[in-house]
Amino acid sequence: MSEQSEAAVLPATPVVAELQNFAQDVFDTVREPLLVLDAALRVRTANRAFYQTFLVSPDETENQLVYELGNGQWDIPDLRTLLEDIVPMSSVFNDFQLEHDFPGIGRRVMLLNARKVRPGSHAELLVLAMEDVTERRRAEGEVAKAKEAAEAANRTKSLFLANMSHELRTPLNAIVGYSEMLQEEAAERGLPDFNADLQKISTAGKHLLGLINDILDLSKIEAGKMELRLESFDVASLIAEVASTIEMQVAKNGNTLEIVCGADIGVMRGDLGKVRQGLFNLVSNAAKFTHDGQVRVEAERQAMDGGDWIVFRVSDTGIGLSATQVVRLFQPFTQADASTTRKFGGTGLGLALTRRFCQMMSGDVTVHSVPGEGSVFTIKLPATLSEPAAEPPELVDDGRRMPVAAFIPPAPGDMAMPAPHTCVLVIDDDPLQRDLMQRHLRKEGYTVRTADGGVEGLRLAGQLLPAAITLDVMMPDMDGWSVLAALKSDLALREVPVIMLTMVDDPVRGFTLGASDYATKPVDRRRLSQILKKYTCIDPPCPVLVVDDDPSARSLTRSMLEREGWAVSEAGNGLEALESMERERPRLIFLDLMMPEMDGFAFAAEVGRHPEWRSIPIVVLTAQDITSEDRSRLNGHVETILRKHGDSEESMLAHVRDLLAGSHAARVPEHVENSAP
Amino acid sequence: MTTILIVEDNEMNRDMLSRRLARRGYEVVIAVDGETGIEAARTSAPDLILMDMSLPVMDGWEATRRMKADETLRGIPVIALTAHAMARDRDKALEAGCDDYDTKPIELPRLLAKIETLLAAGGAS
Repeated sequence: MSEQSEAAVLPATPVVAELQNFAQDVFDTVREPLLVLDAALRVRTANRAFYQTFLVSPDETENQLVYELGNGQWDIPDLRTLLEDIVPMSSVFNDFQLEHDFPGIGRRVMLLNARKVRPGSHAELLVLAMEDVTERRRAEGEVAKAKEAAEAANRTKSLFLANMSHELRTPLNAIVGYSEMLQEEAAERGLPDFNADLQKISTAGKHLLGLINDILDLSKIEAGKMELRLESFDVASLIAEVASTIEMQVAKNGNTLEIVCGADIGVMRGDLGKVRQGLFNLVSNAAKFTHDGQVRVEAERQAMDGGDWIVFRVSDTGIGLSATQVVRLFQPFTQADASTTRKFGGTGLGLALTRRFCQMMSGDVTVHSVPGEGSVFTIKLPATLSEPAAEPPELVDDGRRMPVAAFIPPAPGDMAMPAPHTCVLVIDDDPLQRDLMQRHLRKEGYTVRTADGGVEGLRLAGQLLPAAITLDVMMPDMDGWSVLAALKSDLALREVPVIMLTMVDDPVRGFTLGASDYATKPVDRRRLSQILKKYTCIDPPCPVLVVDDDPSARSLTRSMLEREGWAVSEAGNGLEALESMERERPRLIFLDLMMPEMDGFAFAAEVGRHPEWRSIPIVVLTAQDITSEDRSRLNGHVETILRKHGDSEESMLAHVRDLLAGSHAARVPEHVENSAP
Repeated sequence: MTTILIVEDNEMNRDMLSRRLARRGYEVVIAVDGETGIEAARTSAPDLILMDMSLPVMDGWEATRRMKADETLRGIPVIALTAHAMARDRDKALEAGCDDYDTKPIELPRLLAKIETLLAAGGAS
């Protein structure tokens, strides 16, 4: 014991004794068990927490080899590793986790912190602090387990809902389908008695399907998977559509339906399906809870908070709601009260869904009601909802910021009257190109707005209604073809001329495909007459050229065009088309893109090169819903062609000039004559 | 006579759809999974295919992809039919090469319009 006494002896002066007592008091105050070991790993001292935690006395502890404490309870391999292998290498060590089953006190998890100290001139000592994290680890484990269980349950729920919807739809399929078949058969065999009952089966089936869809919608919203599909639509036609769908239901309870909607309410931009569904829910509720009364649907445009809003109001003279009922009204799965369900049916999801939909579209639905007198439900939505863009609109030209809701309602009957006639929107992901385009176009006297991608471009286009759009084909977020398709399917934007641009070899830029319009194949009659309306033929029959390699598609387009009073020439590829144009200058060209010999891109580039042909509007025909694979093929195609025919800025500017000139000054006959070769 | 191939594993759906189409004057051929669907497309050379997407053996997406990669079959228009009313499934179907898409339960007038449009576009021959 000689080495131990050597280390232990401190001169017992009063000051030193006081300090020792003070140190021991501090030591004992700490709630973590502490051990002080000497170089031979014998315990010099421990604190009260140590004795209490490990149920040992100071006598059993002091001067013992640490491994022998508590009859060898502390002979732990991990502790040996720490003390013999790790601690000698450094003066401080933190958070060494030691897990051990102590026979007296049970399993303990501890975090050990070690520090070497050298009090005065004495031998080195090791202070070992033990943080007991047994409880914390257990709680952490439980939290992790609970989280995992919750996630598993949520996955199971989603899967269950998906499967349920499938499993429920399959038999519903049969119910709705066979009842409709039987209706057809009953009609054929002259058995009208069955019709009413069969009608009830199919109506009930469809109703059930609607409920399933509601439940799915709600679970999709809760999973954050519900997306908005923005489009511009006419509010008055929406109201008319909802009214005609619900008329019967309103009349069933002896109610009258009144519609108040000014013809000047114009166009709004939002998710049409969700606005319709919300409105439908409100009107359907009003009809359900009102007898021999009135259901009134109003819509108006209001300026609030610096923006335009569309406000829909559905009022009824029905049973009304108490204050407590109103509070619970928009919660899913709760109706005004439980007896409502028995009396009126429904899932109680309609209003919850309506509120969620409105909130997704930056609006809300509110209710004002007096029991016994009726209710007024109000939906307020921004007139122009922009894409959920991460950043605020950044308009490069003059630093001025357009207010977000700067929607200029088009004059009735003139859907896409561009706001400032000289505003050109440049959509391009390359900042250099944007800058270049902006400078060129500005020099020409146009106001220029820029967007750095398709999503932003569509958003700005909806906001600005530019006079023309230049569109890059290759963009990372959304390629030019998708943007073009979105623009052309948008009621408010489809009339805006689009010039597709793409890159040849940087920094030389090629411009091609002055697509004035765009239609998907097979061409829809309605869409075609819409397009044709823009290119009114003053002195019929006017020549039109259809370029398509598919003879049957050609003849289909031909017959539609002839019915509209056009004189149709056909060409099977770009070369034939050029030959035909030499003979007669068409007023309008319908162009398929994928053709042998000379395809649509090369042809469009060729047309763009001739000053006298450049202003002929080209309507691009593409396969319905181009797949991403097709698109990348098309894009690749454009690039190769452009390597051969790189056009200049001058030609692009000429495109813009001609298009804009053409869209105002109507195409006068002399224009046609002048350019005939 | 215009022939339509229905590839559908659910017997009731198959029965309904084939009877309703037959009543409207179409010749109907049926197959019960993707693999036999491709075979039937080869042997009966239909003018149009109605393809369920969740099929056993080989699903509708894969079957469509294979047909669209096949020189002799790619010209036949395919309308995807699925019970999943989700945009993702629609996109997936179009990506696989389907020419159009419809949701189950079938609304016959809507489906017929799609069938007639596709037949008119490709089948003037």
